[in-house]
Amino acid sequence: MKQHPRLIEVLQRAESGQIMDEADFERNLLGPEIKKLVDTYGISYSGDEIINCDDDLADRVFQAALDLASVVGVFNQSTSRRMVWSREEIERDLKGAPSVASLGAGEQQFLISARKPDDRNRMSVLGGVVGIPFPEEMYVPLLLSFLNQNIFDSIDGPSLETAYGQPIKAGTGWEVLGAWREAELVQEALKIAGQPGRAVSAVELAPTAMGGLSGVTWGGYRTFDRHHIPMTSELKTNNDLLAITTHINNIGGVIGAYYNPIYGGHAGGAEGIAILAAAGLILSHQLTIGHTFCTRPTHPFYGCDTTPELLWATSLALQGLARNSNLMTAALAGPAGGPGTKTILYENAAFTLMALSSGTSELLASHSAGGAVPRHGSGLDARICAEIARSMEGLSREHANQLLKEIVPRYQDDLDKKPIGKSFEEVYNLDTIEPTPEWQGIYDEVREELIQMGLPLEQFNY
Amino acid sequence: MAEYIKNQIELMDLLLGDDPQASLDWAKKTLGGDLSVTDFFNNIFTPAMAAVGDKFGRLDIFLPELMDAADRAQAISDQVVQPMLLAAGSDQEIIRGKIVVASVKGDLHDIGKNMVVLMLRVNGFDVIDMGVNVPPRDVLEKAKEVDADIIGLSSLMTTSMPYMKECVELRDGFGHKDDFKIIVGGASITAEYTAEIGADSFGDDAVDAVQKCLALLDGPA
Repeated sequence: MKQHPRLIEVLQRAESGQIMDEADFERNLLGPEIKKLVDTYGISYSGDEIINCDDDLADRVFQAALDLASVVGVFNQSTSRRMVWSREEIERDLKGAPSVASLGAGEQQFLISARKPDDRNRMSVLGGVVGIPFPEEMYVPLLLSFLNQNIFDSIDGPSLETAYGQPIKAGTGWEVLGAWREAELVQEALKIAGQPGRAVSAVELAPTAMGGLSGVTWGGYRTFDRHHIPMTSELKTNNDLLAITTHINNIGGVIGAYYNPIYGGHAGGAEGIAILAAAGLILSHQLTIGHTFCTRPTHPFYGCDTTPELLWATSLALQGLARNSNLMTAALAGPAGGPGTKTILYENAAFTLMALSSGTSELLASHSAGGAVPRHGSGLDARICAEIARSMEGLSREHANQLLKEIVPRYQDDLDKKPIGKSFEEVYNLDTIEPTPEWQGIYDEVREELIQMGLPLEQFNY
Repeated sequence: MAEYIKNQIELMDLLLGDDPQASLDWAKKTLGGDLSVTDFFNNIFTPAMAAVGDKFGRLDIFLPELMDAADRAQAISDQVVQPMLLAAGSDQEIIRGKIVVASVKGDLHDIGKNMVVLMLRVNGFDVIDMGVNVPPRDVLEKAKEVDADIIGLSSLMTTSMPYMKECVELRDGFGHKDDFKIIVGGASITAEYTAEIGADSFGDDAVDAVQKCLALLDGPA
């Protein structure tokens, strides 16, 4: 197959790179290099803008990310080796990155395409909770809460808390069973919704290669679904993730790489996060030879990616990549707010406006309540994202910035209060798969506020 | 009191400053006067380190600065405070407690765990960091070997959480329930889960983990 030479090269580098201590990699190589690049390229956060509108700054971030990627590389935790590609190799491979990918089948097939900042082309929207833990009995209702809206291009499921009532334990038969149970429940939901060709991102529950591989064998997830391959923070992989990469490349599956740098960690503040997020997606491409590349910089205490600093840093990373490569970038909305709160809707609206105007190919929505509180996610959480994406194509960064200056103050002071809201069964009727009148009322209220700000959401009737 | 506060601020600034040697030199100089080592430790060193931790809790500083400050504080403790306490025959405890920390088996995430480790260190704990993907039995053996007060377990992934339960079961099964308290933490860990598996406490984040560990030390044996 065409990509095999690169794949074999990836596996070779995993076994032959420089041996070093993991702590040295982060502390003595990654951290100082980021600090140096922030100074060298003059990356500075003033707080005046929430979405970057400076093309030259975005280009400098991209150049700094190329430097960082080529100097630092990726640390393989399984072999304690550093996998490094030269700047020339990275630039050559970036030029060969796919700029379009097909997902789904039949009536639900769609294309994801590379975009540029201020682009009129369509940004895809994935709806789902992207791994928030959920019990088995709520798995199908939760997926239906997204599928039934018919507004999302693809979906993503939760992580199962149990399989057939049993806890799922990493690296054991339980993990394999969990992956199969997940695939089974997804297919049940697609069948009920009458959307058999809807692409699903999977395997959600794959801490080792056991789940990642077993879930995509015959009878499980399909090749037209998308296959998650994350990179661990910061810039780390391991042999399990490389095994999944190898398998998905061999079955011709669509790969969705994911990397979330930690704000306040080795990258420091917003400037370092901008560089690291861009470098992480570039290196994800080197590692996975994948299709879409998703980031979600994470606040260490709020769990969100919607603070002004993180919106700015994410916009810079996405714009730098969009302006200088054909990578299909994606961004995961990670609000601190949860279902049943106004906070989550403001946060998701702000994040969508940032992603849409910054040239992102795909928005994933949403990692509600920080993405980790069991059962805290619902279909209505993400609807605001899809409505904005579908009604505001061609949104300029300047316009988005003006809107964010109105929206961000409406939630900013709530972020440190852990506004996790309510669990799925408290905001949805699990029989009818409809939001409760209270949750729908809150949604309508925020939507009306956004319409008053000039967002053309009144065109959606439901 | 005003002198203590002035010194706390001065030490904190040096711990976070550009010169890696300055805080150690300052500690030696300060202790060369009338100030007793016990006074220095209780009223300057410990509050200054707590203030560094607070700064990270507000993200006024970031992880690299916190790591540097922890290293510099360790140097002051090893090279100045401990030798002087020994020489003075003092029975002053300069370590608030000993804790073995690990990301449990199946989990390779370490940034959150590392933040907790550093926050514990700057708050006076002796921390034995076992790293990531650590089997429950290894954690227990290490706790026995170093005579730990607390075992801290981290898991970002739901699929690794059963190994926390296994660690609690091993501790209890081998008769060490009264020897080591177990605190758990990680994105999906809740108070309910903590109670369900029989752990003693859980930390919501790195700042909270320090408070909970201090409470565990103060709690009933």
